[in-house]
Amino acid sequence: MSTAETGAVPPPEVMTIASPINLILLSLFIILIYTQFRPKAPVTLPKSPAPIVFRTFTPTTLLPFNGTEDKPVYLAVRGRVFDVSPGRNFYGPGGPYENFAGRDASRGLACQSFDEEMLTKDLKGPLDELKDLDGEQLENLQSWEERFSEKYLVVGKLVAESDPEAVKA
Amino acid sequence: MASDTSLVAKLDAVVADILADWNIYTTLIAGAILAFLVFSFVTSKEPEIHPFLLARQSTAFPVRQPGESSAYRSLETPHGFPLRSGLNVKDPGAPKWTSGRRGDLRDIWKAAVRGAAEEGKLPGKQGKIYTVLGRKAIEHSLEQVTQEINVIGSRLQTANAKVVAICLTDSIELLATIFAGAFYGFKTILVPHNLDPKDLSALLQKAQADVLIAEAGALDLSLVAKSNGQLSQVIWVAKIGSRHMDWNDVPSDVKGSLDVSVWHEVVEEKKDLTGLDVPSWDASTPTPSVTTVWPSASQGFDFVEYQPENLVSAIAGLTYSLPRNQRIGPSDLVLSIDSLSRSYPLCQIMAALYSNASVAVNSVAGEGVDFALATVGVSPTVVIASSRTMSAYHDKFMEPHSGFITAIARWFDVRKLDAGVMPSHGMFSQVANIGPTAELSLDKLRLLCVSHRVDADSQYRLTCAQLTDLRIFTGARVVYALTGPGVAGAVSQTNVFDYRRYAGPSHVGAPLSSVELVMTGVSEDKENEGQITVSGPAVVSGKTTLAAEGRIRDDNTLELC
Repeated sequence: MSTAETGAVPPPEVMTIASPINLILLSLFIILIYTQFRPKAPVTLPKSPAPIVFRTFTPTTLLPFNGTEDKPVYLAVRGRVFDVSPGRNFYGPGGPYENFAGRDASRGLACQSFDEEMLTKDLKGPLDELKDLDGEQLENLQSWEERFSEKYLVVGKLVAESDPEAVKA
Repeated sequence: MASDTSLVAKLDAVVADILADWNIYTTLIAGAILAFLVFSFVTSKEPEIHPFLLARQSTAFPVRQPGESSAYRSLETPHGFPLRSGLNVKDPGAPKWTSGRRGDLRDIWKAAVRGAAEEGKLPGKQGKIYTVLGRKAIEHSLEQVTQEINVIGSRLQTANAKVVAICLTDSIELLATIFAGAFYGFKTILVPHNLDPKDLSALLQKAQADVLIAEAGALDLSLVAKSNGQLSQVIWVAKIGSRHMDWNDVPSDVKGSLDVSVWHEVVEEKKDLTGLDVPSWDASTPTPSVTTVWPSASQGFDFVEYQPENLVSAIAGLTYSLPRNQRIGPSDLVLSIDSLSRSYPLCQIMAALYSNASVAVNSVAGEGVDFALATVGVSPTVVIASSRTMSAYHDKFMEPHSGFITAIARWFDVRKLDAGVMPSHGMFSQVANIGPTAELSLDKLRLLCVSHRVDADSQYRLTCAQLTDLRIFTGARVVYALTGPGVAGAVSQTNVFDYRRYAGPSHVGAPLSSVELVMTGVSEDKENEGQITVSGPAVVSGKTTLAAEGRIRDDNTLELC
């Protein structure tokens, strides 16, 4: 009897939570919550380039560092080897100072001359002692050296082939 | 064309179909989404520090020596500039553009007594010094301490004392003697107070101390005097409870050779003769050194003699390692529960005095103390503790007392920390953290400075999880420093805003601005791992190699191996 009665009444529209719109909204909600609380990896910066290892050069081992084949440009001033790669336009191949690349530039800088004659010819021989320079030339050299120390990194030292330290190079 | 319309029409029908199902649940869900969006927008905060600053915390020099790593420096003092060497004290009347003096301990006391002066208004608000005895804290005014400095200092000066050994628990007398040494020109040696009489006797002999200041009744005088012929004077410091006793009584065998007096009686007697003013001094004269004792590996003790320039450099380095808005200031109360005979707490307390903060010293302070008991007497804003104290407290009390609710609150707080924001210490988190912090009475705590001795047992090294727990439970930011023998203050210290987490022991941060770090004895494939070598103005004799292996991480922080 009762079943007949209820059957007579039109069934009330069932309110369902599982309707498509609810499901869409619910999944949106879940995605929102997830993005808010998901574990975030801490920020990392790209690794900085590996540091250059300080080394001892002889005139022969310094020679390859003249900027050709994408190699760095080094030059030596009074026994200190500077990495002048940031100034490749000046010191690298094709630059006004290209003769100095990979060489001992002390005499050339002191005399304000970029000529070949300023370089030590004999790579196996002793380093240029610069004994014959006058006061003005030494002052010149000093100011160049200070400028280099400010701008460029000292990446090594230059010793003569006969120096006991040259074995390490 | 026709197909287009039908497509649009179809789409329209689908949308209409879906929307037709809109009911009360839909409204609820939509409301929840809206509420969530508004909530996350309102509560979202910028991280307290730019993440890039945490991703690379120190600068490496681009050239390294073979067998060594690059030199690492704090971001504050880049390569090519001098390391931080002093307090940059500007004397009144000095031209504005001149750089300040390095300063020394006398400048620190002078600054503390002068108070935090607003531009040109003197005297400023002075800090206070408290001594914590159990649940009680006794307040001392700085004038009173100045008086003690003057009385004891002039007494020792007239007795021609050169080396004064201080064997006291952390107390006002200990601080006063260190400053008296600076003002009146005698070396001070901070000897740990709980030593075996034989060890103490040997230490005094090694240091050639001519004056000993020790706790009344704490040691056997005849035993110490027997092997220390150079000792000429002993000053007892009597605790408040035992001042009624007559401490002037000397064992008969040392009666002739030792002059024994009692601190509070001397001060009482002479206080009218010396002024309440800080003695004046010539800034070009150096102050004598302060020596601390570092327990060495072979159960022996090594003296570490800090020159005044080491100390001021370290004090400045520690001060500036905190960003401006976190720095210790006049409104702070700094409590050290680590012994002042160790250089990190000593330098931090000096830094606090120089910044006109109030300072509290605790007679039970030491490397391994009960964190809850030691902080009970006062309500500090900054606490200085050792890694051993903190890791023990975390493992024995905080961890076992955190329950389910704590875990829920912790989960939310960790999300905040990961976003680079310190969670607020609100009602909910306080209720949730009732378990782990039940014993603590640290309502105002805002900063916890933890130091780790480089040669301490590795079980005391704090992990990232422990540091995170300490931040969440105490509601205070944490800095974690590495200390080593021969380095005043600290070698390195974590950034106060560095909340990043990973598994295992935490790193110890970037070098302070007073030192430079190099790993030595590195192999070519692991160029960032080796013996920790520290140099700079805060290092005794300029450079030292610590007895520990370290590694520079990718974020340029130091980590112990």
